[in-house]
Amino acid sequence: MKCPLQTEETPVVLLDYAAGRLEGARRLKLERHLAGCARCEAFRAEQAEVWDLLDAWEPPAVSTGFNRVLWRRIDEAAAAPWHRKLAEALRFGAWKPAFPIAAAAMVIVAGFVFDHRTESRPGSDPSGATATQISTPNSGIEADQVEKTLDDIQLLRQFDAVSSIRSKPI
Amino acid sequence: MWPGVNTIGGASAGPDVDAQLMLRVRDGDEDSFRVLLDKHRNPLVHFLYRMVQVQPVAEELAQEVFLRIYRTRASYEPTAKFTTWMFRIATHLALNWLRDEKHARAEQRLDGPRGDEMPAWEVPDRKPSVEQRMVHQARMQEIREAIARLPDKQRAAVLMHKYEEMEYSQIASVLECSESAVKSLLFRAYETLRAGLAHMVAGGKR
Repeated sequence: MKCPLQTEETPVVLLDYAAGRLEGARRLKLERHLAGCARCEAFRAEQAEVWDLLDAWEPPAVSTGFNRVLWRRIDEAAAAPWHRKLAEALRFGAWKPAFPIAAAAMVIVAGFVFDHRTESRPGSDPSGATATQISTPNSGIEADQVEKTLDDIQLLRQFDAVSSIRSKPI
Repeated sequence: MWPGVNTIGGASAGPDVDAQLMLRVRDGDEDSFRVLLDKHRNPLVHFLYRMVQVQPVAEELAQEVFLRIYRTRASYEPTAKFTTWMFRIATHLALNWLRDEKHARAEQRLDGPRGDEMPAWEVPDRKPSVEQRMVHQARMQEIREAIARLPDKQRAAVLMHKYEEMEYSQIASVLECSESAVKSLLFRAYETLRAGLAHMVAGGKR
């Protein structure tokens, strides 16, 4: 067997052995290797000692009222009004990524509805439509263009008047 | 996507006993939920305690796990081992808590030993001397701190590997990463623990 510490990226075979999870031919093969490899044997011994230390760490006992509290919470959740259920569901961090998406979707939908209602407002007459157009930013640009065109026409008329005066025979 | 996501990979062997119980819960059988609760309550609270190292928080998070399982029962599909699903929820909640409470947790650790660190069943039959108790408490404190110093994901991987005896594939499914990533996490975590606890094993501790 090739040395796991030299050949494997993560020599978990040594972790498995120390955890007692290596069986059969693989176990025998590793044991033969350990007998002749001081580095692997040192690794195994250290890992086994850590394993034993972790065994000594016992957690405290679970509260005797755990089930009772849980069933009470289940009953409370079942009896809660819909908005509390929704708030409870949204309280979990896992929903956080959905917030921006939901907000964006709501803005799009609201924009679409607003736009749709403005376009298809019943009883709107042409003058009303003109008033709406003037109040929009785009119609402001159109007004400038109309004004400029009127100025151009007036200028042309002046040129025309001047040229007609010059062309008159003295 | 957590609530309602009961479609975790790694269930090629078909529904397990717990998954069958959960299917009954889905169909309205509350007694099956009680069976699941009694079976998994202690391992789950112990796992969460080792993750967050504060017993009331561990119990609160465990309650949240069972509440979620109960709430999402209607959409349950046995596409994975029940324990994989359960530990995935638990790990998610614990990692969130650790992220949110990092500073508070650091202060609690600095406070020194807590009353919950030496349960009655750890005490040998013969009454230990004050010195023995103090030595034991100090050792437990060092082990807890060594685990607490691990990065959160490494800690979760070690706890599932060591105490829940999960396979690499199941840990990978819980942590939503590849099996090789789990092996790497575990190797680095145990390496850190070996270094951190070396002084406890070098001088004939037992």
